[in-house]
Amino acid sequence: MNDDLITLDNLSIGYNGQPVLSGISLSIARDRFTAILGANGSGKSTLLKTLLGLIPPVAGTIDTSASTGVPLVFGYVPQAVQFDPIYLLTGFDVALMGTYGRVRPGCFVPSVERAFTRECLRAAGAEELAHKRFAELSGGQKQRVLIARALATRPDVLVLDEPTAGVDAEATHSVLEFISRTRKERQITVLLVTHDFAAIRHHAQQVLWLHQGKVLQGAPDELLTSERMVEIFEIGIG
Amino acid sequence: METLRLILSPDFLLRNSVYTSVLVGFSCPLVGVFLVMRRLVFMGVALPQISSTGVAIALSVPLWLGVKLSGHPSESAHMLAFIGSMTFSLAAILALAFMERRGRGQPEGRLGTAYVVAASLSILMLSKNPYGELGWLDMLKGEVITISDFDLVLTAAALALVLATLGLFHKELLLVSFDRPMAITLGKNVVFWDVLLYLLIGLTVSMAVLSVGPLIAFGFLLIPALTAHLFARNMRQFTILASLCGGAMAFIGFWVAYQVDLPVGPTDVVLLGVLHAAAWVIAKLLPGGSK
Repeated sequence: MNDDLITLDNLSIGYNGQPVLSGISLSIARDRFTAILGANGSGKSTLLKTLLGLIPPVAGTIDTSASTGVPLVFGYVPQAVQFDPIYLLTGFDVALMGTYGRVRPGCFVPSVERAFTRECLRAAGAEELAHKRFAELSGGQKQRVLIARALATRPDVLVLDEPTAGVDAEATHSVLEFISRTRKERQITVLLVTHDFAAIRHHAQQVLWLHQGKVLQGAPDELLTSERMVEIFEIGIG
Repeated sequence: METLRLILSPDFLLRNSVYTSVLVGFSCPLVGVFLVMRRLVFMGVALPQISSTGVAIALSVPLWLGVKLSGHPSESAHMLAFIGSMTFSLAAILALAFMERRGRGQPEGRLGTAYVVAASLSILMLSKNPYGELGWLDMLKGEVITISDFDLVLTAAALALVLATLGLFHKELLLVSFDRPMAITLGKNVVFWDVLLYLLIGLTVSMAVLSVGPLIAFGFLLIPALTAHLFARNMRQFTILASLCGGAMAFIGFWVAYQVDLPVGPTDVVLLGVLHAAAWVIAKLLPGGSK
């Protein structure tokens, strides 16, 4: 079986036809933990949004070779701060949205999907947050609910956008540990965007590093060494 | 209490006005909840006014074409007004939503301009229209008096359609409103669900404007939803409480207006405002009431 789940071929990404990054050709391995690193404005989130189909590529192609022939299911975990607190949703309500892709419009969510949502909340350590208002949860608690929601989609790829932003060091460690464990247990591909090099180096198996309009791909041990980082930051990608 | 008994009597002369007011009171907050959650309150101001401009223009068309309608706001005139109202509501909401999505310019500026131009245009149109002098100006000011059986049935049917559609597709409309990117990754056609929501808002606003006028329609779209938000703990409570609040105040407003001989629509809105102020104070006094 082909080990590459997602292949980008000469991809240009950006907004309104204006590329932010061009000529991206790389592969994302199946069932692996891939981290997308880079400074603010380097194009990490743009790359993520393009992979998710939220914005169209400027040029090039994205090939998702799902073994079953059906489209890949992405379990998307956005940044927790983006949600409007005006919505009176509980943790359970938010997590339940993960099942909506399998429930036809106009139909009620069946009890089996509700039970599965509770299971996902339990797996994400968010069971006690089910009846609390989502808007009133802390950053780390919101992340757990959003991860539970992503798991409720029964994803092929778990996609996380800065899941540790605004979260303290202890919670960051806990979230990353949980993601690594979930990847192994459920055999899913993890794609995680962050700018926190230190936190990710013990969890990621593959790193995509966006820097000065270029993309470097490699293993963390290879890319995240102090010599290589000095070389990249001071001399630039050569 | 005598007035209350009279209003509740099936033989009450203005019973259609009571039923219509209450129907509008119950249904406007159902779509108002979405306007509040999507932070489209300004659209709630502009849309009823644009809808009423559609009424004014539709009623002016026969005059421009030299076609005579009956002197009284008849069924054909009402249907004409309904078509004008719906056309303008939907065109406006789709255009404004499209510009909102593109994210260029100032949304408040666009909505403010649309509101004042629409308000002025509708007054100009109706001041030159003989039908306007026969009751339509009063209707646009919120005088809920002459509601025929046909008007009532049309209003009830339209609002039942809105209620059924909102009930059936609530989870899709909520998902697209709360987390659009998530909806896209789940394969939902977000444009379709947005358009459906806008159609429901447009239809409700059109019916409300035809029945109670733009000012009162805006009042019922906004105030019950804001009041309910102070106390509701989840989306179900939010929606039901807003709708009950609107329906109850529409009835009480009619009762008070009839008792004291005041125009119904403005009485409804003032009562809604008083209720909201009282609810806000109570919410602040309740433990943890800092919403």
